[in-house]
Amino acid sequence: MAYSEDHIALAAEYVLGTLDATERAQAEVMMAADADFKALVEVLDQKFAVLNQMVGSVEPRDEIWEKIRAAFGLAGAQQPLVLPCDSSAPVAPEAPTVAAAEKSADASNVVALSQETRRWRSVARVASALAAALLVLFGIQLAQPDWLPESLRPKPRVKIVQVQAPAAPSHAQYVAALRKDGGGPAFILTVDASTWDFTVRKIDAPPEQGKSYELWLISDKLGAPRSLGVVGESDFTARPVLASYDPGIVKDATYAVTVEPQGGAPNGKPTSAPVYTGKLIETVPAPSR
Amino acid sequence: MLTPPELVWLIAAVAKGDEAAFERLYAATRAKLFGVVLRILRRQDLAEEVIQEAYVRIWNNAGQFNPGVSSPITWMTSIARNRAIDVIRKRGEVSIEEEPTAMDVAADNPDPLARREMTEELKRLLECVGRLEPDRQKLVLLAYYNGWSREQLAEKFSAPVNTVKTWLRRSMMDIRECLGLA
Repeated sequence: MAYSEDHIALAAEYVLGTLDATERAQAEVMMAADADFKALVEVLDQKFAVLNQMVGSVEPRDEIWEKIRAAFGLAGAQQPLVLPCDSSAPVAPEAPTVAAAEKSADASNVVALSQETRRWRSVARVASALAAALLVLFGIQLAQPDWLPESLRPKPRVKIVQVQAPAAPSHAQYVAALRKDGGGPAFILTVDASTWDFTVRKIDAPPEQGKSYELWLISDKLGAPRSLGVVGESDFTARPVLASYDPGIVKDATYAVTVEPQGGAPNGKPTSAPVYTGKLIETVPAPSR
Repeated sequence: MLTPPELVWLIAAVAKGDEAAFERLYAATRAKLFGVVLRILRRQDLAEEVIQEAYVRIWNNAGQFNPGVSSPITWMTSIARNRAIDVIRKRGEVSIEEEPTAMDVAADNPDPLARREMTEELKRLLECVGRLEPDRQKLVLLAYYNGWSREQLAEKFSAPVNTVKTWLRRSMMDIRECLGLA
């Protein structure tokens, strides 16, 4: 694929590290959604990474390995992600230490219902802030049909559903990067506004033994979170579910992924706090096309 | 340090969930990765958080490592460095006045052992960087090694941020071309 000089410059400055936080997020979403752009970044990244040969080694403390080990016991498991309530803070909150995460996992057994509710509400606010940060520079790659079949190829056991390779869209496409606070995109949700079919592409979420990832739509107008089904069992899930919702709700909703018992939450209600969240943004063609 | 083929083998084992291989991989690479992120973050606590995240990511993504595209240590340091840059950008700017130790150009104190072992790939890249004007060379290396933002670079080079942005962009385009990527 031919990229504009702006795209190449974005890739190059991503590698160099001089993009600001918003631009980095844009580049990361583009990488997650577009394998060619990702390759563009990675080739240059690997060329530059040899510079690190010149950097001296420093031994980390022994405790670090223990913390990494502990993180694996927890990796992506059902410890509730306690999201910060103040999403307007310009400085990223410190990631909770592993020890803190362990503690909160224990505490979750006795967590009060109201706290759970509050957490769900705060998710919506945090997700709004993230979406605002992600604006639209990276549009058209997401609408490119060529990444769809490619992502289907390696995994024939795709669970659902007719996938129509989208024709070059003349209608709106929406995309959301679902991520853990401060992390890269774990799932990419795309919505075709002509049919309201959606696709979820698993990017960087650890496999869950005996658990399922479930996608939820959260909207003030609907009250309780609505299930959009289990996702992430293969790299790629497509489903026509959103058509039954009002377009305004679909566009403004927060999308969240929780870890649920295998097969999905038993009563149609989430049993744990969201792990990955995001909001849709409308994608537009890149200026050079 | 293990040889690159040994590291490739370890990463392949890690991709299959081999925890013992992961521990060996950590032992062989932790000091290099920690050195890289500490140089950028300049704070022990932040560097420790980033190094943990980086190894979790390496564990999760080991299956995506492609030995045809990168060497193992290059792939791993790149993951760690990108996490460090993410963190420092999200924390916002720190003026260089507050960081007197950050004033020196990174390449002033390279790992002496590494200099002897400089690979062909590194020589090639440094040759391309070396074709830039001296100030631009410094600009690119400060950005890469120290993780400085455009604003910090603008302060250091007493130039408007937009000018620095243009310099960075032009320099990177020149390097890409020199590397045969354009």
